[in-house]
Amino acid sequence: MNQNRDFYAGLLATAFFAIVLFVLIPIYVKVPSFIPGFAPPPDMWPRVVAIIGLVMGILAVILAFPKMREASRNQVTSLGTRIMSHKTLIVRFAAVLVVFAAFVIGMPIVGFVPATILMLGVLFIMTGNFERKFWMIGLTVIFPVLLYLLFTEVTHTPFPEGTLFF
Amino acid sequence: MWNELLYAFEAVATLPNFLAMFAGIWGGVIIGAIPGMTGTMAVTLALPFTFYLPPVTSILLLVALYKGSTYGGSISAILIKTPGTASAACTVLDGYPLARAGKGGKALNMALVSSCIGDFISNISLFFLAMPLAMFALRVGPPEFFMLMAFSLTIVASISGRSLVLGIISACLGLLLATVGEDIYGSYRFALSEDMKSGLGMVPVLIGLFALPELIKMVVFRPEENNAALKLGDNRLTLSEFRGSIKSICRGSLIGVILGAIPGIGPSTAAFFSYSEARRTSKNGDKFGEGELEGVAASESANNGACGATMIPLMALGVPGDVITGVMLGAFMIHGLTPGPLLFQNNIGEVYALFIGILFSSVFLFIAGKVTANAFTKISRIPQTLLLPCILILCVYGIYSIGASPFDVTVLLVMGVVGFIMMLLNIPAAPFLIAFILGPMFEDNMRRSLAISRGDLGVFFQSWISWGFFVLTVLFVTLTIRREWKKWREKRAAATASAS
Repeated sequence: MNQNRDFYAGLLATAFFAIVLFVLIPIYVKVPSFIPGFAPPPDMWPRVVAIIGLVMGILAVILAFPKMREASRNQVTSLGTRIMSHKTLIVRFAAVLVVFAAFVIGMPIVGFVPATILMLGVLFIMTGNFERKFWMIGLTVIFPVLLYLLFTEVTHTPFPEGTLFF
Repeated sequence: MWNELLYAFEAVATLPNFLAMFAGIWGGVIIGAIPGMTGTMAVTLALPFTFYLPPVTSILLLVALYKGSTYGGSISAILIKTPGTASAACTVLDGYPLARAGKGGKALNMALVSSCIGDFISNISLFFLAMPLAMFALRVGPPEFFMLMAFSLTIVASISGRSLVLGIISACLGLLLATVGEDIYGSYRFALSEDMKSGLGMVPVLIGLFALPELIKMVVFRPEENNAALKLGDNRLTLSEFRGSIKSICRGSLIGVILGAIPGIGPSTAAFFSYSEARRTSKNGDKFGEGELEGVAASESANNGACGATMIPLMALGVPGDVITGVMLGAFMIHGLTPGPLLFQNNIGEVYALFIGILFSSVFLFIAGKVTANAFTKISRIPQTLLLPCILILCVYGIYSIGASPFDVTVLLVMGVVGFIMMLLNIPAAPFLIAFILGPMFEDNMRRSLAISRGDLGVFFQSWISWGFFVLTVLFVTLTIRREWKKWREKRAAATASAS
């Protein structure tokens, strides 16, 4: 199991640092035409880090490969099989991503407090444990409102009220 | 001198001063324990109230808030894996595993005791060593800073856990994310959107990485244990446990004092440096990161040890070391006190009064910390299915309140997802954390040094401080390579033996 994880971690790191090195740095790290004195250019450090990350990613893949080959003699599991066997978990993870994305997109529209109430309610449901239903309902409404009052009174934070109602 | 001290003692030992210190410490502990609310916020919010107070009372209130919030950060770090302040991030590494093992009360007590000792040693240093330490701090320039950061980053090797390669990958990710935004020369890096031009906030990244993956894990895997509350277990810290950590506490306090006196370093770096030293030298070093009381002691003694010491360059030289002491500089000026060498000539009475008052604050910290920590331990009795979603909402409000920026909330949520993926792939989060905090200082000081020397690498070897850290770095890297090589050979020998 661990060797598989190391392999995927290495693969992911290799892909990520390769994208950073060959795509993101050339596009998103602009080197000014004039640099005073001998100030190293702004892309020097990100390049160094990305190269080290890339090398380490490849190394993780190489180190995990013989162990995986050893393990595969006993049991052959492809990535596709592994994903299919964990379908429910993947659906739940995707649901978390949808909730987070909906909060970020919906918060300026419905307002900060309603958005946090909705997110808290949905997260309580997603825990799949309904033994303390009344606590869940109470907390869903009261907790965000209490926090809103605390932060507006103490730190005078201007929370977005939402474009839908104003 | 003794007469002046006696007068100062009389001036400090008044009810308003004690009330101000007590209120400051207590308020600071509570604010520090709320994720997203920082010591800087506490001190800034209290500044307008000080206009109506006498100078010494005002400064004591602000210093108490600073110290209280630095300790308070450890409460949420231990109990809910959410560092209340950046300086408590290191406490999460051992504090939370201890809480999961039913030793949350023990961890809180160790954090409190080590914070108070660190704070006391720091105050004593402020009293006796303000001038010499300030002079030493002035000798630390960008090259020395760079070497110190390089040495601090070698801790990645010891906290990588099972795989050094994955630890370095995690550190690279942290170093890379720390480069987002404007660099020291005004160039923008990885500014994929307008919000990213100002970089990624330290608090949303740290809280996202540590607090949120637990919630996502609970939602995705729904383990049975989450229906139950955490067991608090035995809360008492035994004498043998304290004795076992005393070395790390003393060393951490001294590290805090020395690093705190250097402008620009602050309690977070001191905590990591102390943790790495304790990890390297402790006989329980292998257990660090899995719930070792000594780890909590090392980081907490250092971050509170740095608090009093940050006042050294401020009072002795008039140089604020960080944002909080910057705000305090304003408070000094408002009350007609000008920090710097002249302060010790013109206002020696006030200086002694402050020193004595700050010494008292360690006692108040212990009382307030004990009461508040006891109240907060009740959090552990809440079932995880109710607690974790509420923590997310608390973090969302706290993070938004820092800069009233929806982008910070987005960073928090995205880092939560990144942290969960790292957890799934067994990539350790601790190296990321250290690299993200130390990375900008490492890079800035390297670039500054090279700019000063016009590209001459010799700038890094011009002082004994640089040489000292360079030798330590080389020594530690060599030992790590040797250890990994030996481990690899042993594994290979075992594999060959089992195959034959």
